[in-house]
Amino acid sequence: MISLDRNRATAARQDLRIAIVGLGGAGSTVLDRLVLDGLSGASLVAINTDAQALAGSVAAEKIQLGRSLTRGLGAGGDPEIGFLAAKEAVGEIRAVLADAELVILCVGLGGGTGSGGARLVAELAREQGAKVVVVATLPFTFEGRRRAEQAEEALAAVQRDADLTMCFENDGMGDAVAPLAGIQDAFSAADQTISQAVRALAGLARRRGLMHLGFDELATILRFPSEAAPRCYFGFGEADGANRANDALARALKNPMMDKGRLLDGAPNVLVNVAGGSGMTINEVQILMEALNRYVGEETRILFGVAVEPQLGEKMSVTILCALPADPADVRLQPAREIAIRPASTRRAEPEPAIEEPAAPRDFPEPTEETADFRPADDELEHLPVVASAAPVPPPKRTEAKQEQMLLDPVARGRFERSEPTIVDGQDLDIPTFLRRNVKVK
Amino acid sequence: MSNEHIIVGLEIGTSQICCVVGDLRSDGTIRIIGVGTAPSRGVRKGEIVDFETAGTCIREALVDAEEKSDVMIGAVYLGVSGAHIESFNNRGAINIPEQRDEIREEDFEDVQASAREVSIPSGNSLLHSILQHYYVDGQDGVLNPVGLLGRKLEADFHIIHGVTNRIQNSIRCVKEVGPEVLEVVFNPVASAQVVLDQNQKSLGALVVDIGGGTTDFIVYVDGVLKQSGCLPIGGDHITNDISLGLRIPMARAEKLKIGEGSAIVGASAPGDMIVLKDETGFAGREIEREMLNTIVHCRVREIFELLKRRLDAAGNVSYLAAGIMLTGGGSQIPGIAQLAEEIFAMPAQLTFAHAVSGATSAFENPRYSTAIGLIKYAAALQPERPKSLFSRVLRKLSFLWSWIF
Repeated sequence: MISLDRNRATAARQDLRIAIVGLGGAGSTVLDRLVLDGLSGASLVAINTDAQALAGSVAAEKIQLGRSLTRGLGAGGDPEIGFLAAKEAVGEIRAVLADAELVILCVGLGGGTGSGGARLVAELAREQGAKVVVVATLPFTFEGRRRAEQAEEALAAVQRDADLTMCFENDGMGDAVAPLAGIQDAFSAADQTISQAVRALAGLARRRGLMHLGFDELATILRFPSEAAPRCYFGFGEADGANRANDALARALKNPMMDKGRLLDGAPNVLVNVAGGSGMTINEVQILMEALNRYVGEETRILFGVAVEPQLGEKMSVTILCALPADPADVRLQPAREIAIRPASTRRAEPEPAIEEPAAPRDFPEPTEETADFRPADDELEHLPVVASAAPVPPPKRTEAKQEQMLLDPVARGRFERSEPTIVDGQDLDIPTFLRRNVKVK
Repeated sequence: MSNEHIIVGLEIGTSQICCVVGDLRSDGTIRIIGVGTAPSRGVRKGEIVDFETAGTCIREALVDAEEKSDVMIGAVYLGVSGAHIESFNNRGAINIPEQRDEIREEDFEDVQASAREVSIPSGNSLLHSILQHYYVDGQDGVLNPVGLLGRKLEADFHIIHGVTNRIQNSIRCVKEVGPEVLEVVFNPVASAQVVLDQNQKSLGALVVDIGGGTTDFIVYVDGVLKQSGCLPIGGDHITNDISLGLRIPMARAEKLKIGEGSAIVGASAPGDMIVLKDETGFAGREIEREMLNTIVHCRVREIFELLKRRLDAAGNVSYLAAGIMLTGGGSQIPGIAQLAEEIFAMPAQLTFAHAVSGATSAFENPRYSTAIGLIKYAAALQPERPKSLFSRVLRKLSFLWSWIF
């Protein structure tokens, strides 16, 4: 079934010109990560003051900032320098972004180049008429207060020119590794998460066929009354095998940012994209959504998309994106807004000719002639039947909206690593009490 | 000494396996002959997670007990715990058949069966169905209805059930090592037998057994068992918290907890440091005592608060005149009674098994309360005992067990 979209602003097309800009050290690392994880069809631009880092980047386009000011050295953690250096290269930046319709700016805030240059790049991109999405990371707590402040300032500044800002806190992502692991691992975990998020974004933008990307949808997720950018939470899971629907969801929720799904309860909107090979059945999709539904709150609106990507083969994947305001007090669920439900691809699929639905999965709704994506009409989604043969994943107890920002470190279970978690009122009691209650212990 | 009767209680705890050998005398008293223990591995939160390892530890404990008591252990009474065990109160009712209006013994079985008709989840099996009150034609306060005239017999039961497979795991593990399992008992039910006297049961009391993996509790109101349960948090969690909080390995955290930990915060002077010795014996890191205590305090407080919530939900808290009895290994944390008093607003004290005789050191250790309690519980089931209503009903229970196996 195809429903017509309303409020179309930008048509998303397969050939949408996307430029992914990695600004500063962290930004460039993300680009490298993206290439490693597989991203095609978008042009990659690395922008940095540090010439050495730039040289080592895999991006096709490179711009060096501050040729005369910093002369190939970094900005030294000073945003002022970063800004001035960026100003020197304004012409080049403009030129490189001239063609892009969507600019995804990846930047690690808190340092010099990223924090100083971000708002300039965003401004330039917007001037060119592109949509600007900023994916920013906020420094680890251990990096100190100065960096945190610089990051916040830079964030506020860049938001003025960005259509969408997604922030990730490094702390949340760093929790993916064991507490005693090296800093390298912590940073690496942060990069991986950003990379996945960027690919999901690019995928959203590139949806095939009649579907459009409304920045409206993404904007809906990120809409909060306060001025600070909301913190984004992202989970991605992929699995194959007999129980792949539940396994994929479990893995997506295992991402520490998802905090085992507890965060979903408090988020007003959640974007979910499910993708699978041509063998994916509607039953599995239902199982997954049913399981997911246990985690989201009563008032949460789910923006749901499904894509069939034959190259996934036997695997099924789910991407979850939600946002909570920086200030927990700000969560006021938005009045129910008309949202057209739209599918998405979790990862950038190659532009492909239309794929015929194989005859085998009978219960798949009839495909459009152009695309293998399918999407239920709004009312259909409401009536997804409860799957009787639900998978054995035990549902967590329902919680009241949990607004605290401090994410629990799910790995800090120590002795209870491999035992079944004890969940009471949404808290995993195996995690030390003093951690959960944020009691100061040096 | 002809009426000697050996009873063995075995508790498979998370931190230690405890096996107590007792001798039931003809006059009904129990004497502890020997206590065997072994550190427990393969058990988490009261449940067996590693079958083989647990079996090895059980064997160790049994051998230790056999040596100390000079007795061959052929059968045991097994104590079980775990978060999967749940309990509720239910009333059963039967109408006395018309041709007679005298209440007879067989009516007990019927009324009990009626009480148990409340569905226990499939996959669960009954552990205990413990009589609370009788009502004859709606009149309560009936102690022994046999012989009374009435049309309707009702009885309240406290029903305890748990996941069949998990209980079976424990049973199989023991059987694999050797001994038969005569009965399976929910741990706090056993502990209460030796920790509370009749007076305390009448006044109303709460027994909290803080073990390594679980905190088991049981509530008596007006002499009758009203509520029981298990929180899957115990001393292990405290040790784990310390280990993660101070970033030291578990073994040292355990030593630190036992040696220096306290549940009281604010009592140590600022700057009062504990020195963590490293392996070579030289002084290693220093940590503030207050930090250690804070970590311990947080966790213990949480345990009590969770417990209190459960009690409040059942509405039992206001009836406990005898207050709280703390037992189990975890009860030895300094300051814990104080904290319990603060949270529950009723007197709390540390306790251990009474009503048994034997080597003092054996039964005065709160860690043995449950295993000793198992013996007392078993004694109540014995046919030599003067027939009490309680034991009669329990005996009927014991062959109700057979269908589970």
